Amino acid sequence: MNQRVRLVVPEAPSPQAVAVTETRVVAKGGIRLGVLDNSKGNADYLLRFIVDGVKALLPVASVVSLRKDSVSLPAPGAILDQLAAESDYVITAMAD
Amino acid sequence: MSSLAQMLQASGASIEADDDFEAINALMREKGWSDGLPIVPPTEARVAAMLEYCDRPWDQPIAKIPPRWGEATPLLLAANAVMAGCQPRYFPLYMLAIEAMCEEPLNLYGVQATTHLCAPLVIVNGPVARELDINCGHNAFGPGHQANATIGRAIRLALVNIGGAIPALGDMSTFGSPAKYSYLVAENEAESPWEPLHVERGLPLEASAVTVIGAECPHNVNDHESLTAEGVLTTIAGTMGIAGVNDIYYQSHPLVIMGPEHAKMAAAGYTKAEAKRFIQQRAHVAVGKLSQENIDRRVKITFKDRLANPKPDDVIYAVQRPEDLLIAVIGGAGKHSAYVPTFGATLPVTRALKTADGKLAKSVEDFRRR
Repeated sequence: MNQRVRLVVPEAPSPQAVAVTETRVVAKGGIRLGVLDNSKGNADYLLRFIVDGVKALLPVASVVSLRKDSVSLPAPGAILDQLAAESDYVITAMAD
Repeated sequence: MSSLAQMLQASGASIEADDDFEAINALMREKGWSDGLPIVPPTEARVAAMLEYCDRPWDQPIAKIPPRWGEATPLLLAANAVMAGCQPRYFPLYMLAIEAMCEEPLNLYGVQATTHLCAPLVIVNGPVARELDINCGHNAFGPGHQANATIGRAIRLALVNIGGAIPALGDMSTFGSPAKYSYLVAENEAESPWEPLHVERGLPLEASAVTVIGAECPHNVNDHESLTAEGVLTTIAGTMGIAGVNDIYYQSHPLVIMGPEHAKMAAAGYTKAEAKRFIQQRAHVAVGKLSQENIDRRVKITFKDRLANPKPDDVIYAVQRPEDLLIAVIGGAGKHSAYVPTFGATLPVTRALKTADGKLAKSVEDFRRR
């Protein structure tokens, strides 16, 4: 019978994510929708399709659409700040 | 600092298994902690031996590895280094490579998660490369040297086990790459006619350093006929002018690896900076080599200032500025060089090997616990 041996686990656990649980307060005129186009081919078409779908279901007060220049790089801080300031919800998408 | 035994008391820090090589390897595969090759069991004793070459707290993260953003502690890194077959004295350089590739300019999140086939390439310079016998000569990218094979493998295991670059989950590469098993070499400083890569990138000659690049595999440049600097540099530039690489769409930093024979020929007529300029001006692809869809959807947008209405003979450069081109001298005898395209949305990172007190390390023995 083999002896038992202790092994060091090489895997890092996923960081604990804190879920946002409070109810978002949305103005009476409808939600402020943000859209982040990642510049992937056809992302703009897909996002327009989704925005139209949201508008058909919910009152939408405004839509702010921004685009990052590179598929592969994170969105610059200025874009994220603007989306955070002017949006209640943000949609982004992959395409192609 | 807590002892290793105390750290392993933490929930999930260790597991028990039958002391049987095959059973342990089966367990590692089942857990998804293997690269498919057999691993060395990361026993407490082996991990402790690895950590003898770590002068920092073993339970404090030195970096967070995307896309999982797992915390890379020396303890976890040591377990992966043991599994890869590293000697304990490799550990300081391994930690440095992990730290360097997690710095923001490299965009490791993109390199790890992309559908592209890139992997972090580590080029080692300085006295520690020689101390650890990291191959820089014949077959430098191939098998045969423990340091190249196992440090590179330990990096991949950490990228998977700590960073979550699990194929088809966190790593969405369409093809993957043999470079995702191991991708680490040293520069052949002894055979180079130019200043070493780490010196060119701002470090003192006596420093030991890594330069990390989010790179494809090397593509060979065969030139047995050229007898002049202009000849060999023209062939290299010509090889770089291809339509399907990411670099043509980014201000990226691709790499030219010059075999020592080609490098000496080039250096007879050019400084390194002059060689870069020569290559940059001639390494381009004609717009007419691209599909009309690529021209309409990418070229006209990316190069809107210069190529809003491009003609077929207009060119797109393989590297946008001469100073962005990296040149390293690697390899043995033979009239070959290599072109290493990159992920594009990535910048190289060069870092010196330093002890915890911030001094340049002269030897890996500087890290050994007394």
